[in-house]
Amino acid sequence: MAALEHSAGLPAGAEPAVAPLPRLIRDIPPAAWLVAVVLLVLPAFSNSFVEAQILGWSFILGMIALSLMFLAGYGGMVSLVQMSVAGLAGYMVAILGQSSIPTISLDWPWWLVVPVAVVIAVVFGTVSGLLAVRTAGIYTIMITLAIASAFFYFTRQNYVIFNGFAGFNALPAPQFWGVDWRHPVAFYYLTLFWATLSYGAVLYVERTPFGLALQGIRDNPRRMAALGFNVNLHRVAAYAFAAVIAAVAGILLVWLNGQVSPGTAGIGPVIDILVIAVIGGLRHPIGPFVGALIFVVLRTFALDLLTSVGLAGERFNLLVGLGFLAIVFFSPDGIVGLWQRWRRSHADSQARQSAASHPGGP
Amino acid sequence: MLFERRPLISLLILVAAIVCLWLLLAAWPAELEAVIGRKRVFMNALFNGITLGGLYFLVASGFTLIFGLMRNVNLAHGSLYLFGGYVGYTIGVATGSWLLSFLGAFVAMALLGVILQLVVFRRMEGEELRQTLVTIGISIVLADILLWMWGGDFYQIQTPDWLFGATTLPFVLAAKSNGEAVYMTYPMVRIAILAGAIVIGVVMWLALNRTRIGMMIRAGVDDRDMLSATGIRIQIVFVAVFALGAGLAGIAGVVGGTFQSLAPGEDTRFLLASLVVVIVGGMGSIPGAALGALLIGLSEQFGSVYMPTYAVVLTFLIMVLVLAFRPQGLLGAR
Amino acid sequence: MASVAQRLSAAGAGHAIDLRGVSRMFGALAALADIDLQVRSGEKRAVLGSNGAGKTTLFNCITGDFLPTAGRVRFFGEDVTWYPPHERIRRGLRRTYQISLLFHGLSVLDNVYLACRGVSRGRFSLLRPRRDDALVHAAEELTDLVHLDALRHRKVAELSHGQQRQLEIALALAGAPRFILFDEPAAGLSPGERAELIEVLQALPSHVGFIIIEHDMDVALRVVESVTVMHNGRIFKHGTPAEIESDPEVQELYLGHGHA
Repeated sequence: MAALEHSAGLPAGAEPAVAPLPRLIRDIPPAAWLVAVVLLVLPAFSNSFVEAQILGWSFILGMIALSLMFLAGYGGMVSLVQMSVAGLAGYMVAILGQSSIPTISLDWPWWLVVPVAVVIAVVFGTVSGLLAVRTAGIYTIMITLAIASAFFYFTRQNYVIFNGFAGFNALPAPQFWGVDWRHPVAFYYLTLFWATLSYGAVLYVERTPFGLALQGIRDNPRRMAALGFNVNLHRVAAYAFAAVIAAVAGILLVWLNGQVSPGTAGIGPVIDILVIAVIGGLRHPIGPFVGALIFVVLRTFALDLLTSVGLAGERFNLLVGLGFLAIVFFSPDGIVGLWQRWRRSHADSQARQSAASHPGGP
Repeated sequence: MLFERRPLISLLILVAAIVCLWLLLAAWPAELEAVIGRKRVFMNALFNGITLGGLYFLVASGFTLIFGLMRNVNLAHGSLYLFGGYVGYTIGVATGSWLLSFLGAFVAMALLGVILQLVVFRRMEGEELRQTLVTIGISIVLADILLWMWGGDFYQIQTPDWLFGATTLPFVLAAKSNGEAVYMTYPMVRIAILAGAIVIGVVMWLALNRTRIGMMIRAGVDDRDMLSATGIRIQIVFVAVFALGAGLAGIAGVVGGTFQSLAPGEDTRFLLASLVVVIVGGMGSIPGAALGALLIGLSEQFGSVYMPTYAVVLTFLIMVLVLAFRPQGLLGAR
Repeated sequence: MASVAQRLSAAGAGHAIDLRGVSRMFGALAALADIDLQVRSGEKRAVLGSNGAGKTTLFNCITGDFLPTAGRVRFFGEDVTWYPPHERIRRGLRRTYQISLLFHGLSVLDNVYLACRGVSRGRFSLLRPRRDDALVHAAEELTDLVHLDALRHRKVAELSHGQQRQLEIALALAGAPRFILFDEPAAGLSPGERAELIEVLQALPSHVGFIIIEHDMDVALRVVESVTVMHNGRIFKHGTPAEIESDPEVQELYLGHGHA
C-alpha cells in the first residue's frame, strides 16, 4: 500500500511549472479514473433494471460487505452481525416512518427518520462489538452469528414492534428536495454516492492513527497493549465505524425494496454478505464491491446459466457454494487477491524480460 | 471445597435444592398454582426442556470437540445433523429398524467426516479462518444437495413399537378429590433418548479423562504444537475427532427426526443452537456442552410455555449475560 | 532524542532502577530470592546467568508483568512495586522481547510510528498525519538510528530475522524512554548481524540507561559498563566487564559450560 508519506517530490529548489494537484488526487491510479467516468455516465446507455436492480443493489450489498471487510481485513475480526445492523436500520425506517402498518409506524418525516435509524443501528452494532471483542479471534464468528440469529428470531416472533413474520410493506419511495429518489436513475446516483463515500472513507481511515492502530491490533494485540493502546476500546470503536456504513446501506436497501421482513436479515443473507466479502477479497475496499457485483449478476442470470448446463434453476445456492469453495481453496484473498498476484507476476516477468534483453548488468 | 470457601453461597444452594425437590415431588397447593400455573404444565415443560437439552447436547458435543481440538468452527455441523437424519430415516424405512438408523447415520456421517478432514482440512493446517470459511461453503453446498435429494417435505422418523407410548413417573402432579395422587406420564421414547444422551456423555467423559487417546486429545486442546512435538501422529487424532463429532451430529439427526421432524432449515436451527450452547457452556468442554445444553433446552421450553412472544429473548439474555460476565463460557478455560 | 527526557534524567541524581529485597516465589520455587539491584540513570548494565538463573523473572518484575512476592521496586525514585505495566511505560520504561512481537502486515515505518503513537495522545485520530507531523519525523529518525532507513516501507514479514530484531529495538526507543530492558536482543543473529546490533547499542543516547540480558557474552560485554551475574535467583557477582570475564568463579559457573 501507499507509504505513510511519499518522500518523492520535486528536487530541492526546483520551481513547479503548474501548481501540483493535491496528493490525494495524484495517488489515484488511472484505471480508477476510467471506472469512475464509466460509472458516472452509465445511465446514458443502460436501462432502469440495470441501474436499480443490478448496480443499485450491488452498491448496497457492497457497502454492507465493506463494513464486514473493514472489521475482518483491518481488524482481524470476522463479524457476521453487519447484515443485522443494516436490517435494523431498515426496520427503523419502516417503524419510524410510514408503512402498511399504521398502528406501529410513527409517520415521522424522512429527515428525522434517517438519522435516528442510523443512530439506533450503530448502537446495536457497537453493543454487539462489546460482546464480541473480549474473546479471541475465531470466536468472533460464532458470537456475531449467534447475535445475528437472535435478531432474526426476535424480529420474526415480536409483533408489537417488528410485526413478526410479515414485516412491513408499502414503504413509500423516498421523496424529498423535489426528487423521487426511487426513480432508477436517481436511485442509481444515490447509491453510487454513498458507496463511493464509504469506499473513500475506508481507504482514507486505513492510514490514519486509528486505522493503523486497528491493523496493529490485528497483527499483535499483546504488543499494542504493551505500547500503551487500549486494545478492546479500539476494537469496539471499529465496530461502531463499520456499523455506520452498514446502517446507511440498510436504509438504502429498504428504499430499494419498499419492504422489510425478518428474512431481510435472515441467516441466508447474513452468510451471503460473508460470501460476497470473501469472494471479492478482504484485503482491499474494492473487493466487497467486486464480490457484490458478481453475486448480483449471478443471482439475476442464474436461471439461464443453470438451465444451460442442464440443472434446475433452483440450484443457485449450489453454484454460489461451489464458487465460494473454489475461491477459498485457490485464492483466499479473493478475486482482488488473484488480480494483484497476476499483476505482480506480470510485472516480474516483464522485469525479467527486460533484464534478459539487456545482458551484462546495469 | 465450595462449602468451606463460601459458606453463604453453599447454604443458598442447599436451600434452593430443597425447594426444588419439594416443588418436584409434592402436589402443589392451590395458591401456588394460581401464581405459576398448573403443575402438569410446569412438569411437562421441565421434562421437555431436559430431553431437548439431551438432543442439544448430542449435537453440541460434537461441535465443541471439533472446535476445542482443531480450532475449526465447523459451521457445516448443522448440515451433518440434517444429512444424518435423512440417512437415518431412509435406512429406517428400508430396514424397519430404529436402532439401525442410528448406526447408519453415525457411520455415514463419520465417513464423511473422515473424508472432509483428510481431503480438505488437512491442507489448511493452522489456518483457522480459512477452515471455517470452507465449512460455510460446505454447508451451503450440502444444504442444496439435501434439498435436491429429499425435497422440502417434513420427514418424521417413527418411534419404534417397543418405545411407543407413555410411562408413569414418580412425580405427583396433583391430588384427586379423594386424596389419591395423580402421577405424571411422559413419552417413553423421550426418556430413552435422554438416557442415551447421558450414557453417551458419560462414555465420552470417561474416554477423555481415563484413556490414553483421551489424554492426547485433552493435551492437544491445551497445546497443539506441544502435542505434535511429542511425536504422536496428531493427524490420526484429528481425523478420529472429526469423525466422532460428525457421527454425533448424525445420531442427533435421528433423534431430532424422532422427537420433531426433519426439513430444510433444521440444519440452520441446530447449528445456531450448537453455537449458543457452546458459547454458554464453554468452548472445548464436554461438561460445558452438557450444562449449556441443559440451560438452553430448559430456557427454550419454559420460554415457549410461559412467555411465548419472548422465548428467544430469554435464551439470548442468557447468552448475553454469559458473554458479558464470563466470555469464555460457564465451564470454559480462560 | 527529546531533550525533555535528557533534562529529566539529569535531574534525577538517584538510581533509575532500585530493587530492594525483591523476591518472587512460584509455589515453593524461589525464582528470585532477596534481590538488591541498583542501576544509575544512564548506566549500561548486563545481567548474565545460566538458564533458570532468574534473569527473565527479574525483567518481568521490573516491568510489572509479575508482581514480586516481597520487596520494593523503584523507578527513578518512585515506588512502582504495585503499578500495572502501562503505568510504568508511561513513566519511561521500555522493554524488548526475546521473540520479536511485531506487526507483520505493516511496514517498518508504520511499526515505529505506532510505537510513537502509543505513548502520545490522538491514538483514535481519524485524520491522516500531515507531511510535517512531528511523530512521523520521530519515527523516521528512529528507523535511521537502527539502520533500517533503507527498508522503511518494507513490510515486516519481508524482513530478515536480524532486521526484525533491529526493528524490535526501534520500538523500544519510541517516545523518549528513560530506561530500556533488552531481552536477549542477539538471539538467533548471524555474526554480521551481531556486529550491527553492537553498533546500534553502542550508538544509543548516553542518557538512556539499559539492562541487557544476553547469553552471547561477546555482545553483552562489548556494550555495557558494568555486569551483574545471577545464579539460582540470587545476585552472584558484580563488576566491570573485564573483571567478570576473567573471574574464575564466574568462569566455572557459567563460562566454563559451553561458552562459544
